[in-house]
Amino acid sequence: MRHSKNILFVLLVIYAVQLRAQKDSAIVLDEVILSDAKLLHFSNGKRITVLSDSILQRNNASLTDLLKYNSTIYFKEYGYGMTSTVSFRGTNSSQTAVIWNGINVNSQLTGQTDFNTIMPQNFGSVVVRSGGGGVQYGSGAVGGTIHLKDKFSFQNHFNTNVGLSYGSYNTKRYNYNASKGSKNTYASIGADYIVSDNDYKYLGTDRKNENGNFENISIRANGGYLLNKFNLIKFYHTTFVGDRNFSGTLTAPSDDTYKVLNSRNLVEWSNFNTHRITRLKFAYLFEKYNYFPNKNRSEFSFGNTKNFIINYDYKYSFDAITLNGILEFNTVKAEGESIQEAKRDQFSGTLLFLHTLNNGFSYGVNLRKEIVSDYKSPFLISVDGKYKISSDYTINLNVSKNYRIPTFNDLYWIGAGARGNKDVLPESSWQAEIGQTLESKKFTLGTTVYYIISNDLISWRPDDKGIWRAINIKDVTNYGLEATFEFTHNWSNSSLKWNNQYAFVRSVDNETKKQLIYVPKHNVTSGIGYQYKKWEVYKQLLFTSSIYTTTDNSEKLSGYVVANLGVNRSFNLKNAINCVASIQINNLFNKNYQNVAYRPMPNRNFTLKLIFKL
Amino acid sequence: MKIKQALLSAFAFVILFTSCNNDDSPKLPLGDYENGILVSNEGPFGNGTGTISFISKDSSVVHNTIYKLENAEDLGNIVQSIGFDESRAYIVANNSQKISIVNRYTFKKLGAVTEGLANPRYFVVANGKGYVTNWGDTADSTDDYVAIINLETYQLDGKISVVLGPERIVVKGNKVYVAHKGAYGQNNVISVINTDTDTVEKTITVGDVPNSMLFDASGSLWVLAGGKPSYTKDETKGVLTKINTSSNTVDATFEFATTEHPKHLSLGNNELYYALGSGVYKMALSGDALPTTAHLSDVSFYTMTVSEGKLYGTDAKDYASKGDLNIYDLTTKKKTKTLSVGIIPGGIYFN
Repeated sequence: MRHSKNILFVLLVIYAVQLRAQKDSAIVLDEVILSDAKLLHFSNGKRITVLSDSILQRNNASLTDLLKYNSTIYFKEYGYGMTSTVSFRGTNSSQTAVIWNGINVNSQLTGQTDFNTIMPQNFGSVVVRSGGGGVQYGSGAVGGTIHLKDKFSFQNHFNTNVGLSYGSYNTKRYNYNASKGSKNTYASIGADYIVSDNDYKYLGTDRKNENGNFENISIRANGGYLLNKFNLIKFYHTTFVGDRNFSGTLTAPSDDTYKVLNSRNLVEWSNFNTHRITRLKFAYLFEKYNYFPNKNRSEFSFGNTKNFIINYDYKYSFDAITLNGILEFNTVKAEGESIQEAKRDQFSGTLLFLHTLNNGFSYGVNLRKEIVSDYKSPFLISVDGKYKISSDYTINLNVSKNYRIPTFNDLYWIGAGARGNKDVLPESSWQAEIGQTLESKKFTLGTTVYYIISNDLISWRPDDKGIWRAINIKDVTNYGLEATFEFTHNWSNSSLKWNNQYAFVRSVDNETKKQLIYVPKHNVTSGIGYQYKKWEVYKQLLFTSSIYTTTDNSEKLSGYVVANLGVNRSFNLKNAINCVASIQINNLFNKNYQNVAYRPMPNRNFTLKLIFKL
Repeated sequence: MKIKQALLSAFAFVILFTSCNNDDSPKLPLGDYENGILVSNEGPFGNGTGTISFISKDSSVVHNTIYKLENAEDLGNIVQSIGFDESRAYIVANNSQKISIVNRYTFKKLGAVTEGLANPRYFVVANGKGYVTNWGDTADSTDDYVAIINLETYQLDGKISVVLGPERIVVKGNKVYVAHKGAYGQNNVISVINTDTDTVEKTITVGDVPNSMLFDASGSLWVLAGGKPSYTKDETKGVLTKINTSSNTVDATFEFATTEHPKHLSLGNNELYYALGSGVYKMALSGDALPTTAHLSDVSFYTMTVSEGKLYGTDAKDYASKGDLNIYDLTTKKKTKTLSVGIIPGGIYFN
């Protein structure tokens, strides 16, 4: 019965979109070259923050560095450059999804993304979408989603970009990007390499960060070919190879080494005309880790997953209505030291509906249902609305149900003293938010309040035999407020940009009424940049209030302010080569701080950079 | 100059004078932490530090983090256990590969063993030397050892190579007995080490995964083995073994059912206590069969021990917040006290 109901829903989705299929005419190229069009059309009730190129240039060694100073997401870093997980709107680290060109790439093993395994400069843009996105993006899109998007351009061009940098702790970084385009072809490649001893001083002690050295490489290749006025084929590829030792703590040394390989591939064929776009996507994602508990020995544990996705996406627009139906088949295989061969098949149907009225009001209704081979998946829904009351004032609101599926570890782990639990349920959450934006030529002021109720959060606890198992144990309520203020002013040969974000977060365990661990109540980021002719000076500031490190709130880490200061000078060299030389001082105030207890962050340090644009 | 010197001596005099006054009491206490219970708290898993809690004998006073209080430093990660001699306590932190040595009554630091340990577990003093069980590298099942510590210098004096997974260690005369629980795997032997020669004299086979052991008044060694857990796909039963320590041979064995995995063997008033499932069972030393009904039911402890008619059991709660020490009266079977201690309370000791 249950299955036939699900199938009926999926068939309805297909029927609903096919119904309005009509004939074609002109090109909507701008849209089909977007890798993640849902972000544009079906994020009505959401706050979307696009991180500009100039910001990407500043903190670009890792996605952690970038977002730490340019959003109010809290990062738990197990030492600089080490594993890095997030808390977005007070949710847990499996409740933020990373979306690569429209595809959810959170690890199938852990349900999370390690934000130090993504080098953002290798992507065209990074977008932060606050709030639930389960219907559009699947599991883990609860607190918010982070979008990595590659750009395509079908215009005649040939650009090359070479970056060289050297910094404290013998940190060297080289990156290369090139793209070439014509009227109907586009190709782009990029490579980014960083190596660091990462042996920073632990402030207030006579010790250094031991065993923290790392070496990462990220490569990228994209291509597009416009077959004719109605057909486009695109190809995306990215590979990350990371070789990191895991640093010790203030109280314990470490000998660990962790090696990861992530490879992501996507082929997308679009057939389109003025009213409709059909996309067919094939994606193959591969992730693998080898963990060496002692780097001087040969023993290691491993895990890998292979994920194959077929996605059919049909979007139709008529008058003021946009309708988008998506069918997806997703099959994942996992194996590893502690996971016997495990497999999951997932079939999902999604229907997105958007209605834009003349008076500045638009609303959307979005639905998703999945049939999954190894757990029961809830029906997801989101309803959103946006009302542009005047040219400078907009109100938006959103209500959604989202979820986080049990990971392969949660379900299938078998190891000494720990076992997965095949009866574990997906975490589910309801959330509502309302926001307003006041915009003028010079400034933008935005505020959002939200409320999230999450049920059945998965935790590992020992059972009565002392075996650690995954169970649905906790219910959590999050609420908070976010405010952003942006100010831009341009003079004849200078300009000023000032971005500020503030978040107030309460994330409360319903049973104990205590704030969850590693969720600061207050978080502020502020960036200011002033450009005068060929000079630019900028400062970034991060304030995090104290965080609890025990669930009974008996212990906490103190809050901190960390700032970075940078100066750039651009030069025009021969043959139209542009060069930007920069120096950045990180942790300007030499603040001794930790965002994970007993794992100090770096002292004051320097980065020198040269970027050549050809 | 003269004035300065005069002031200094006056100052010194005042200090001496006040100190004398303070030391005026008829019987000198050995320290703030005499006469009470010490609880070792493992501390959060992964990072952070373990702590020691002190509870006064009448359990009216609880001091948490006493090591840090006295020494302004952390003990290290995963405080596994404490070993004692007459005046000293030896606190073993396994991830930190460190043993901190303090005066057991003042908790002032005397020194530390920081070299030569590899996943240290438990510590005893025998024959004027310290003996520490070490797992070695957990990936290597053949490098396990018992480290010998010089108690004058706190340096490693040698290593005795032993079979996989040495855990609990107890002393009788010039012999130490090491229970091989099996580290991340499983093992089923007791090593007998002669402390005159520092060699393994004998190994005695007991049940799988020996987790606790003690001597009774007659000198017999009782070893409780939990059996292999079900996830090993080779589940075995728990076994209680009585060992004659004159001949180092097995005197008696008591077998549990295959799915029963007992732990936390304790001795009080000539009766053995252990935890099984959600109950605590009691068996007379002279008993000839395992008890079938629980003495206390619906209880579950992270660790437990009995002393003077009371049962002390800890609750680690969610393993990320302060745990509790619960005290039960073994006669009335009622909980008489709950005290908040540190994160993951894993050891209970009487000072």
